[in-house]
Amino acid sequence: MNPHSKMWQTALIEIETAVSQANFSTWFKETRILKEEEGVIFLGVPNSFTQEWLYKKFHNSILRILRQMNDGVRALEYVVVKDEEKRGGESKKNGFVAPTLSMPLQDFYINKEDNLNPRYTFDNFVVGPFNELAHAASQTVIKNPGHTYNPLFIYGDTGRGKTHLMQAVGNQIKKLYPDKKLFYMTSERFGSELFIAIQENKVQQFKDRYRKYDVVIMDDIQFFANKEKFQEELFHFFNTFKDSGRQLIFSSDKHPNIITGLEDRLRGRFSAGMVVDIPEPDLESRMVIVRAKCATHNITLPEDVIEHLASSIEDNIREIEGIINVISCQTQLKNKQLSLNEIKNILKNNTKPKKTLSVKEVVKIVSDFYNIDEESINNKTRRKEVVRPRQVVMYILREDFGMSFPSIGEKLGGRDHTTVIHSYEKVKEEIKTDTLLSQEIGQVRSML
Amino acid sequence: MKFETNLQKLKEAVTLAEHIAGIHITLPVLSCILIEVKKNIAMLRATNLDVGMEILLSVKTHEEGVVAIPAKTLSSFLSQIPDQNHVVQLELISGNIQIISAKTRGVIKTMPIEDFPSIPSIPDAEQFTLSSELFVKGLKSVCYSASISSVKPELSSVYVYKDAGNVTFVATDSFRLAEKKIKINIPSQFNDILIPSKNVSEIIRTLEYIASDVQVASNKNLISFKSGDIYIVSRVIDGVFPDYRQIIPKNFSTEAIVLKQDFLNALKVSNIFSDKFNQVHITVDPKGKVFEIQTKNVDVGENKTLVDAALTGERVEINFNYKYIADSFQSVDSDSVSLQFTGLNRPMVVRPISGEQSFMYLVMPMNR
Repeated sequence: MNPHSKMWQTALIEIETAVSQANFSTWFKETRILKEEEGVIFLGVPNSFTQEWLYKKFHNSILRILRQMNDGVRALEYVVVKDEEKRGGESKKNGFVAPTLSMPLQDFYINKEDNLNPRYTFDNFVVGPFNELAHAASQTVIKNPGHTYNPLFIYGDTGRGKTHLMQAVGNQIKKLYPDKKLFYMTSERFGSELFIAIQENKVQQFKDRYRKYDVVIMDDIQFFANKEKFQEELFHFFNTFKDSGRQLIFSSDKHPNIITGLEDRLRGRFSAGMVVDIPEPDLESRMVIVRAKCATHNITLPEDVIEHLASSIEDNIREIEGIINVISCQTQLKNKQLSLNEIKNILKNNTKPKKTLSVKEVVKIVSDFYNIDEESINNKTRRKEVVRPRQVVMYILREDFGMSFPSIGEKLGGRDHTTVIHSYEKVKEEIKTDTLLSQEIGQVRSML
Repeated sequence: MKFETNLQKLKEAVTLAEHIAGIHITLPVLSCILIEVKKNIAMLRATNLDVGMEILLSVKTHEEGVVAIPAKTLSSFLSQIPDQNHVVQLELISGNIQIISAKTRGVIKTMPIEDFPSIPSIPDAEQFTLSSELFVKGLKSVCYSASISSVKPELSSVYVYKDAGNVTFVATDSFRLAEKKIKINIPSQFNDILIPSKNVSEIIRTLEYIASDVQVASNKNLISFKSGDIYIVSRVIDGVFPDYRQIIPKNFSTEAIVLKQDFLNALKVSNIFSDKFNQVHITVDPKGKVFEIQTKNVDVGENKTLVDAALTGERVEINFNYKYIADSFQSVDSDSVSLQFTGLNRPMVVRPISGEQSFMYLVMPMNR
């Protein structure tokens, strides 16, 4: 029993003798001391009626009793608290409605006060080699909010888990430091609220509103590009915040230095704390992510399927999540595990469609990349600087576009299909050992 | 304490307050209406610690004072007094209240007033005015869908929020969901709130009685409505309503447009033969131009009813709880309704066809 509840128990015994039984069980049964701050006792009460009545009728008596136990008590405040205990488990007795399916209502997705989604926590955040730096930086921020890395700036492409990480930091800070007021918002929201505030001539209220927070998390800061008034406001906001040792966390899809249309003074300030990148997740991490997502959906997938999923979706964790949702839904519907083929079909239908490119365009991109003449790919020349790009073209056409070996040969200057097979196999083998080659292919793919 | 007042006015006030006063295990005085007479005003007060109400009444005061009268007894007695010369006199004589009208006299025992709680107010909140008629319409359109069980307080409430010039009212017990949008001008600082559904009926009753614009104030814990002589305050649920918008189907595979009355009549017939789960079997066959409702009860019998309907899309056969469908029609004010189906395990969407398109209703199908 903590000292507060002990103190309150003792106080209650005294109060019970002083008031009538009816009064005691109506007004005092569900009260407890929440915390004590500089001599002020915060008393948790179940509703406003109790708050009002205790204040009106019993305030002085309670205060006197508390003072007898502890001289340091100066004042008493009442706080209406949510009654958590009453939420029991699901009742099963509603037999008459039972056969109707219930809606898949998702619970309580965001907290009104801080705008955080409680589902984003570190418990379900997968840490892999790709994001361990960002993760470590966030942990440092949590240990000492407002001081070590201020601001924390996280950047990375969409679907890499920036929002999850930032919200997890918020949720963790909330857990560790219940007194800290924090707020999560998208930069778009900041912008539109500022816009309304300017229109209604209430900029000062707007400023005051945000300045009461100890931690502000702002997502997708790149939307501020080219918006001067917003940037100016953010700049002032920034200074007030940082000077008073309060934590700011930002995210964006790019490094602050390469967001175009951003003022230099902001750029400098973003970079002043800690700037971390969440790069593309590696295959192992993606597999861990797939497994983790499966676990939350209560489905198990065979290893080969997991590997296939992880290798087909490379840069976007959100897409992985989407696919797992579809798989889980279909598994429920068909009531059996899906085969690899079925999953491949799902993948085909649900991942973003690959752009259709003609062979000529692929050739052009590859030859541009290697800085050689387009024509030479189709020629019979065996110059070393041409052979490699030619093999890369074949490999990509086969692997990414699924063209048949003979037609690849035919399109690339009428080669025999065995030549194409050889080149394809060769590149496939070399990728495993030659990191330079695999990087090159990665870059070419990103240009397609 | 002694005062005289208009009998009709007192009757109405007592009837309103009586609904709120209730049996309370630990605090018996809550079953009373507190009447406090000061100057030429009598204030009636009632609460069950979840809702509170204050009603002001102008009276002719002979002597000021306070009294707590058991609500049931007072209300039953007043409602039976013949209303002849419209005036009634109340006088506190040694712990009993004596009520005298032209021909009737009654003496009611009172209770000690000390324990009667005060009604909380929301002093720091910004107030705004809104039409009680519209607000009642919104509440009434959805409140029957709220959950009866108190396991999830969020679901046993009506969720009221503001979006783009509308105020939206939503309630669901997770088997069906009703949503009504109403154009009400309210200021932007209005936060979304969850009003407990058991308090909604008291609020509706009071606002219907007021029937004019009301002053509304709300904070994290309370919402209050005030108009002239009447003040009602209710607890609100500190929670977050589920993200229901994501379960509204965005498109549909089958649609049936039927006359509301036809469909309702057919449902009523079929209900005679429905089983203990109120199950009705609906067949929609656009190709065969058939919209059929079927029920079967091994102990009673069975029935099939055809309903005239305009049908599009794929054939579907699906089961529902009769009650859930029928419930929604009280909020549909057009003659015909559209029923949209998306698949066997997905909700059916009910929308009015003409007039205001501001109502939407989802019903989940049955399992078997």
